[in-house]
Amino acid sequence: MTPGAGATPDRGFLDDWLEQRLHTRPLLAALLHVRVPRTAKTFYLGGITLFLFGVQVVTGTLLALYYKATPDGAYESVRFITSDVSFGWLIRSIHHWAANLMILFLVLHLLRVFVQAAYKFPRELTWLVGVGLLGVTMVFGFTGYLLPWDQKAFWATTVGTEIAGSMPIIGDQILLLLRGGADVGEATLTRFYGIHVLVLPIFLALLTVLHLTFVHQTGLADPTRPEPRHPRPDATPNETPTLPFFPNYILDEIIAWYALLAVLVVIATLFPAGLEAQADPLLTPEHIKPEWYFLGLYEALKHVPRIVGILALPVGVLVLAVWPFFDRGPEVRPRKRLLPLLAAALVLLVMVGLTIWGLVS
Amino acid sequence: MEPSEETEPITGPLHRRRFLKFLLNFSIVSTLAMVVTPILGFLVPPKSTGTAAGGKILVGTTADIPIGQGKVVAMGSKPVIVLDTAAGIKAYSAICTHLGCIVAWDPTANVIHCPCHDGRFSPASGAVLAGPPPAPLPPVKVELDGDKIYLVSG
Repeated sequence: MTPGAGATPDRGFLDDWLEQRLHTRPLLAALLHVRVPRTAKTFYLGGITLFLFGVQVVTGTLLALYYKATPDGAYESVRFITSDVSFGWLIRSIHHWAANLMILFLVLHLLRVFVQAAYKFPRELTWLVGVGLLGVTMVFGFTGYLLPWDQKAFWATTVGTEIAGSMPIIGDQILLLLRGGADVGEATLTRFYGIHVLVLPIFLALLTVLHLTFVHQTGLADPTRPEPRHPRPDATPNETPTLPFFPNYILDEIIAWYALLAVLVVIATLFPAGLEAQADPLLTPEHIKPEWYFLGLYEALKHVPRIVGILALPVGVLVLAVWPFFDRGPEVRPRKRLLPLLAAALVLLVMVGLTIWGLVS
Repeated sequence: MEPSEETEPITGPLHRRRFLKFLLNFSIVSTLAMVVTPILGFLVPPKSTGTAAGGKILVGTTADIPIGQGKVVAMGSKPVIVLDTAAGIKAYSAICTHLGCIVAWDPTANVIHCPCHDGRFSPASGAVLAGPPPAPLPPVKVELDGDKIYLVSG
């Protein structure tokens, strides 16, 4: 970063060195030197979600150095990490809280894009991949929840897999596939661990690269006016004032990351991740509940016919995924799109209501 | 936020741009230190809990080890070779001082033998008789209580 002695004032030594060998300047220019509409309001939510994923990769890798994925070893190793390893409690708590915040910011990011109609032409595929990222992140949460192998983890997984297994027609096969056997046990733990640390990170990384590539290609949406469709202008229209993505936008983004890292450390310190009694397959504790992001669904299952509750999640994700292909009107301003926004507000209200209900019941 | 583009005249020993640059570098270094410290701390494993903290460990009875024979036993997480020699029961660390392989009793040659690089140690003192090991096997204190063999650690 710092220019070496004798280097030209604009180009650093490293920049010259790399350029001579790899011709990195055009690549960096294509990646960084794009412009974003001044009117774009992202609130940095997507970038924060990406940052949290980075935190998860680092802390998760560290935790995997001590973690043992067997019923006897899992609980003991998590207890060891929490109480014996230096900073173990901090790393584990940050992993726990960053997971929760990642889902929270992902949902906020989705809502932002929905309210601004940024999923519309030409960004339908960016939205579709984004829904895929939401799905992968939820599975991350579900598989990671079992790993401490305490009572909460064990029974939340028992109930969760049971719900997935009540799916009509394919339920039994799903249950067997998820658990790796008839019951939650050693096979489930190794399966969830493998999926959590090998399969999902690859999927999430690939989808993220795809998502960012699409964002790069289409540019950020202008929430004040729709994208011109025919003919597609090559140059940015003059009437949209823009600012540089690098360094202006990136700098703000990094400030947001800094603030979030501070928040993360404070939350992890004040509310460290707990560990209940070791999993006992013969004793279901009272008041067993899933994590907050599955709590609404869990509560709904108590009040609606079983089949409705079970199908709510896959159908909901499917509706989200195909939404931009049906809502194709060019209008993007929220005050002109009251119907979809009211519908979304209603769905959100029901989900938040059910979650709170699930929390207090 | 960012260093300003304007080129202002140098009015003092430390002018604005250099000061901002210093602040930026300081922030980057302190952030890195803050992130790396817990990670490095985490990577250093806590002191091994495998061995019992001092004390006597029962490893067998004299009947287990006939005279002129030896046997590798576990003292906590550390292997120890126990021998019944003419000079009484002897015990040495079973970790070869060459490259850390586990030695064994060779009943034909009557020596402690390392299978990796043919190191040979004396059963009477643990001293190197042949091969590449650079140092003798460290002795382990043995106590007998009747026919029970205890190893004393710590």
